[in-house]
Amino acid sequence: MAERTSKQVSLAEAARRVADGARIALGGFSVYQHPMAFVRELIRQGRRDLTVVGVVNGPEVDMLAGAGALTRIESSYVGLEKFGLAANFRRRVEDGTLQMVDYPELMSWDRFRASEQAQTFLPVSFLGGSDIQKRNPAIKPFDCPLSGRKLWAVPPADPDIAVVHAIMGDTFGNVLMPRRRLLPQNLDITLARSCDRVIVTVERIVSNEEVRRHAELNQIPSYRVECIAEVPWGAHPSPVLGFSRIDEDAFNDYVTAAKSDDAFRAYLDRTVHDLPDHDAYLSTVGIERLTALQTTMALQ
Amino acid sequence: MSAPCTLTERLAVMLSKEFRDGEVGFTGLATGRAAAVYITGIPLAAMALAQQTHAPNLTVLLAGWSHNPDMSKLHALPELEFDERLRDLPCEAQSVDYPGHYVLKRGDVSFGFSSGVQVDSAGNLNGVCIGDPDRPDVRLVGPILHPEHMTLFGREFIMMPRHDARNFVEAVDYVSGVGYPGGLAGRRALGLESGGPALVITPKCVFDFDRDAGRMRVRTIHPGVSEENLRAETGFDLGDLSGATPTPEPDVAELRMLREAVDPRRHLLPDIDSD
Repeated sequence: MAERTSKQVSLAEAARRVADGARIALGGFSVYQHPMAFVRELIRQGRRDLTVVGVVNGPEVDMLAGAGALTRIESSYVGLEKFGLAANFRRRVEDGTLQMVDYPELMSWDRFRASEQAQTFLPVSFLGGSDIQKRNPAIKPFDCPLSGRKLWAVPPADPDIAVVHAIMGDTFGNVLMPRRRLLPQNLDITLARSCDRVIVTVERIVSNEEVRRHAELNQIPSYRVECIAEVPWGAHPSPVLGFSRIDEDAFNDYVTAAKSDDAFRAYLDRTVHDLPDHDAYLSTVGIERLTALQTTMALQ
Repeated sequence: MSAPCTLTERLAVMLSKEFRDGEVGFTGLATGRAAAVYITGIPLAAMALAQQTHAPNLTVLLAGWSHNPDMSKLHALPELEFDERLRDLPCEAQSVDYPGHYVLKRGDVSFGFSSGVQVDSAGNLNGVCIGDPDRPDVRLVGPILHPEHMTLFGREFIMMPRHDARNFVEAVDYVSGVGYPGGLAGRRALGLESGGPALVITPKCVFDFDRDAGRMRVRTIHPGVSEENLRAETGFDLGDLSGATPTPEPDVAELRMLREAVDPRRHLLPDIDSD
């Protein structure tokens, strides 16, 4: 009997699928549930000239900016919520080495929906008078051919690759999401339906039988997924709903390090370049601290 | 009950009277003491007070997604929008997709609250940068929901935790939320058929708008703030201030309801006057 193919790869192999210059969407929202281990691996591999297209972005984008891996970001927000401004992002935009293209928050979400629908543009009614369209040559005004209403054609998000971090999946690339999802998890689902290449990291690889027991929670089916890697604590220091809380101490350390280029270089050495892989990173965090952050592995 | 009313209490009671029964009010979470109080605390207290007085059918959207949360179960102003704590706060409905329950583009949201680094005399709002947007002196977080707040919501209350000449400017460096350039007629010419700022609330005064002229004007001035100080700390000409009145003081019953029923633990309205 023919055997079904495993799509499970190592984190390093998954990160190699993203080429220099790629246009990527990174899962999560604000400070929540970002594929941080994947981002650290991209930095470890020396990736360059990336464009990130997003909705509400946080430490994943700031870290790529601080590592010099990012040349363009399209989003409504790059910041660290209660931890403050994203200092690397801020410095790179201020010195002209990183371009931020500002999009409104809900419209940013709709840009991914436009990609999901394979539309060539998103019609938007509410951009009059705003620098969002005045300063963005990719947004073009037009009159609605049916009603005559003044509208703007906004480009879809169109990432080459979407990368999300979830709690469980199987080796074939089926991905389980908790029953009680919040906005960041539902955004991940939208991202995963917005392009043809989807990379997933999961806290735990489970059996296909386990997936079948919770089939209603499988929101990203195997055929949408290019590869899947088992990466425990793969969102650290951001939280994973149904698994772990935010690591506030690690966020505060990050903010301190991001205050200057020199301090951030030392931080990147300490957390990425001087370590062979994600397991070594987790050892530096320590099992005691990780255990204290854990909630319960819950699909509820 | 003898304690005199604080400025945040005064503003919450004043604001509560701006809401009509049956409306839907959207508030986001801000952090940092003064910002959290102006952008989250005062709006939540004002909406809860309105629900207990003249607007029992008002719907509160906390953090833009938790409908009519049970505020008595909160032990502090929430700091994280999407964690288990807010997920498990009892409420009537949870929007977990964007926008989800409220049909935003058909006008479900009656009013919202926003803030920025600069606001100008036409009510334009900036949360993006200071200086030339291509090479900004200061790059900030981004437009977030400003464009939607200032057009798709029925009206907007701009909450400014600081009032000085650097953030009240003649023209903002980047328009992330549109006010009344050219007045209401100007908005219509831009294709904006509804929405726009209603009030701008600061630690010194409350502004409203001459919508025909498209210009902000002082409605009320808070106690202890002189006209000279207000002019000195505002970066655009305030014009004739003879129509401005003192910001009204709550009556005893309003203050009691605010302190006893709405915010007994002072989570929403800590006394920041003395900070």
